[in-house]
Amino acid sequence: MFVLLRQLAHIRREAHLDGADRPRSIALRHVDAGSCNGCEHELGLATSPRYDLQRFGLDIVASPRHADVLLVTGPITTRMATALQTAYDAMPEPRLVAALGDCALGCGILGDSVELMGALEDVLPVDIRIAGCPPAPEAIATQLLAALDSSGDGR
Amino acid sequence: MSYEHVAPDRWRDAIAARLAIGARFAGAWATRHAGTVAWRAAFTTPGGSTTALSSRAADGRLPTIVDLLPAADWDEREAHDLYGLEFDGHEPLRALVAHLEDPAAWTIPVEGDGVHEVAVGPIHAGVIESGHFRFHVVGERILAMDPRLFYKHRGLERAAEGRSVEDARPYAQRACAACAVTNTVAYAQAVEEALGLWPDHDLRLSRTLLLELERLYSHLNDIGAVCAGVGFAPGAMAFAALKDRAQQINLSLTGHRFLFGTVAVGAGVLVLDAPAVDAARAELRELRTDAAAAWRELEFAGSLQARLEGVGVLGFADVAPSGACGPAARAAGVRADVREHSPRLAYENFSPAAPRKPTGDVAARLDIRAAELQATGEILDELLSRPFAAGSTSALRRPDVLGIGLVESPRGATMAAVELVGERVERLRLRTGSYANWPALAHAATGNLLPDFPLINKSFELCYACVDR
Repeated sequence: MFVLLRQLAHIRREAHLDGADRPRSIALRHVDAGSCNGCEHELGLATSPRYDLQRFGLDIVASPRHADVLLVTGPITTRMATALQTAYDAMPEPRLVAALGDCALGCGILGDSVELMGALEDVLPVDIRIAGCPPAPEAIATQLLAALDSSGDGR
Repeated sequence: MSYEHVAPDRWRDAIAARLAIGARFAGAWATRHAGTVAWRAAFTTPGGSTTALSSRAADGRLPTIVDLLPAADWDEREAHDLYGLEFDGHEPLRALVAHLEDPAAWTIPVEGDGVHEVAVGPIHAGVIESGHFRFHVVGERILAMDPRLFYKHRGLERAAEGRSVEDARPYAQRACAACAVTNTVAYAQAVEEALGLWPDHDLRLSRTLLLELERLYSHLNDIGAVCAGVGFAPGAMAFAALKDRAQQINLSLTGHRFLFGTVAVGAGVLVLDAPAVDAARAELRELRTDAAAAWRELEFAGSLQARLEGVGVLGFADVAPSGACGPAARAAGVRADVREHSPRLAYENFSPAAPRKPTGDVAARLDIRAAELQATGEILDELLSRPFAAGSTSALRRPDVLGIGLVESPRGATMAAVELVGERVERLRLRTGSYANWPALAHAATGNLLPDFPLINKSFELCYACVDR
């Protein structure tokens, strides 16, 4: 255990992310609406030691009722449309929606249009757009922070 | 290759004959062709060669084979939902891909005193893919579990159909980020087999490198996932950081953290000069040293180890009926690995890894990953001792209508079947290692405690994306 903890302590936070001193906290809720799992892998790593989103006051929460931002991946399959809407409806206001990755932005390599709802912005109002296939953890962290900074009080 | 055509009334005998010689089921799929739906099944012989059977009934009714071959259960249910085939004797033919409202249409009927259902998903608590689990429990004991997937069904196979063999390739790749190389190499091999092409030594080497790079970051991820499954944060975080380093090696070698865009049909795209491979090899050696140290720590972490033994057992006798393959099968003592019979790749003298104790539980599935991680590190170290040229293929024989590619993914045997009309894809069927193992996961969860399910689930660490397609 101690070797592990030492190893973790030695992982340099090489990602040059500014603003560790920002005063507020933002809770994110992720919904996979048909992604290839690439965005999930990278979002998961954004909370790992090298990037450590939590030190900027950003954290991923289990319930949409505790979330400020709905982070959506994938080309929005018809089969996830109801669950996605339910998660959005469960969020307290004010709330933001982030499209994570090219599929949610409607510009990835998608499937059969019969199975898809279209881009996320056809379904929900999108406030934050994070491009990439998939966006790297550093890009996710940087763009989430930038979007929150530019949205005034974050709401 | 082509099909051996079998009349519907001879279908079961033909399947039984394959099984009698020890052939392994690779997958089955339906194809719309000339106004009717044909039903295909592929097998690999003990020597590693692949054969395919085909049948067709005017009324769309065929005899089931699930009593002979339970591993074909999901294939038949999928063909029923997507292609309207009926399988006589497969009763009840529960919905798999189709999402029907009535739970009776898709769940195992479980009744008795105190039996109740626990519904989980499709949205889970963490950053996890979408899918629904219906647990039938008494108290906290799981009596049965129905995975209801296909929330992420994007119609990728249909979208690929009608396209040229190169334009269809990205659909195989985008089915799943974590299996992107496996799925694309399986697809490329299937197309090349159909077109009568054989890969040269350079192409075999570069595809093998890519497949092992995929296994490296995937197994690091999966060891961390088991730690996360018991809430052992230091292990989860250490292995997440190691996985990130492996993906940085991917990035520096190929320009993509998930190795997207590195596989083409008929030729290679990866060119690596000596400084590039030397740098990657040095990084890899440091990574292997740190991963070995982290693994040793896990072995002495009591709060982790106390949770692993005897949990989620998939025993030796369960492997064949459940269709399990890959690390899950090897953890139960079945030493099967597609890499043993991969003449289109560079796995000379390959021998499958084995866990120290093939107990088929979470402990063994964790242990086999550590053993395979070690082996993959050695393969990569050897491969990275030389520069890589793109490589190409040469025509071996005349083109045919069908090709099947089989590749060992980090989660098990993945099959891509491609049916061609000229150089256009008429049908693409991707049956991944995850698809094969989901019924095995449901079986392994039975009899366990509901709070252990996340751990059991993580010890398989199956994809949803390449199952749902």
